[in-house]
Amino acid sequence: MRTLVLAAGQAEPQVHLTSQTRIVAAVIAIFFMLLILDLIRRDRLQERYSVIWFVAGLGMLAGAAFPGLLELLADAMGVRNTNVALFSVVLLLLLGLALNFSVIMSRQAAQITRLAQERAIEKALAEKGSGEGRNGSTGEERLEPKKESL
Amino acid sequence: MRTLVFIPAWNEEDSVAAVIAGVHEALPGADVLVVDDGSGDATAERARETGALVASLPFNQGLGAALQTGYLYALRNGYDACAHLDADGQHPPEEVVRLLAEVEADRADLVIGSRYHSGAVAGSGDYKPTFSRRIGISVFRFFLTLATRQRFTDTTSGMRAANRRVMALFSQHYSPDFAEIESLQLAVRQGLRVEELPVRMLERAGGSSFLTPLRSAFFIFKGLVVLLVGQFRPRQAEAER
Repeated sequence: MRTLVLAAGQAEPQVHLTSQTRIVAAVIAIFFMLLILDLIRRDRLQERYSVIWFVAGLGMLAGAAFPGLLELLADAMGVRNTNVALFSVVLLLLLGLALNFSVIMSRQAAQITRLAQERAIEKALAEKGSGEGRNGSTGEERLEPKKESL
Repeated sequence: MRTLVFIPAWNEEDSVAAVIAGVHEALPGADVLVVDDGSGDATAERARETGALVASLPFNQGLGAALQTGYLYALRNGYDACAHLDADGQHPPEEVVRLLAEVEADRADLVIGSRYHSGAVAGSGDYKPTFSRRIGISVFRFFLTLATRQRFTDTTSGMRAANRRVMALFSQHYSPDFAEIESLQLAVRQGLRVEELPVRMLERAGGSSFLTPLRSAFFIFKGLVVLLVGQFRPRQAEAER
């Protein structure tokens, strides 16, 4: 009972990042950004998809250089341990990124499907055209599902 | 009235030619398009030999994408009505004629050939589904009926006829994964007249269904998620009917 009161009464000290953690984080962040640059340079990564990773790398570097930022963040989240705050933020960021990629992937899957369909139809029409000497396409493309007298 | 019958086919070299011949016999005036969904066998060649037009997808895209190719082709080429049936010989082409008649008489925008419509119990007709399949059928039937407030008995039927309204809708929106079920939901939500017609279907000539119990459970779960998500899609105003 007394220990409980004690714990509630006087706030325990914050758990900070050690200097070692900070150095490791900074080195990883720098290598990470170099890797991103190299991927762009070798055309393995498009610029538009690299921005977010670069921001992540800079954020990591900032966290290592100015631990005060992380402590502010931990305070705002009501977390006593700065490491936990850092982990949560990174986890959320990765979750968001993964979702973002799923969205991009879905869009590209739809585009690939449509491309395949267009090609299949064009080839079929070309075949038909060469077989019959005429092309049956009316060129009708605008889609109007609502009103259409039949 | 220009009519297109399209046949989605994936590795159906044994049966596709017979199906095409059956369609020509039942519907002499209709054009036939085989949508070859990236088959690894001689499906496209067998189909071409019969004189049918073949649209070959460069790689396997799934049934939904294959059907959508057919709808897109029908729309682009000014067909008034279209119908599709499976390439494995389960769907008698004579039944397609009756589906098309409903569309041509403008009694419905989309007509589904139902294996179960006439009998109250699943599998009471010629077609006898397996146990796990029967569960899936009942679950989908229940939830699709709930979602659309319209009674459907055969939610996964691949024998359908449609007019230009449906072509326009399906060529734009057609789920690649849950083509049959989601398309019904979508059509009803868009205010289209969807009708079921009892049809006779045959047993699979060869090969077994791809569904194991675990896979069916996953299949059902996935289908329910798709249906749920579909309920949040925008609905067409009722007045557009």
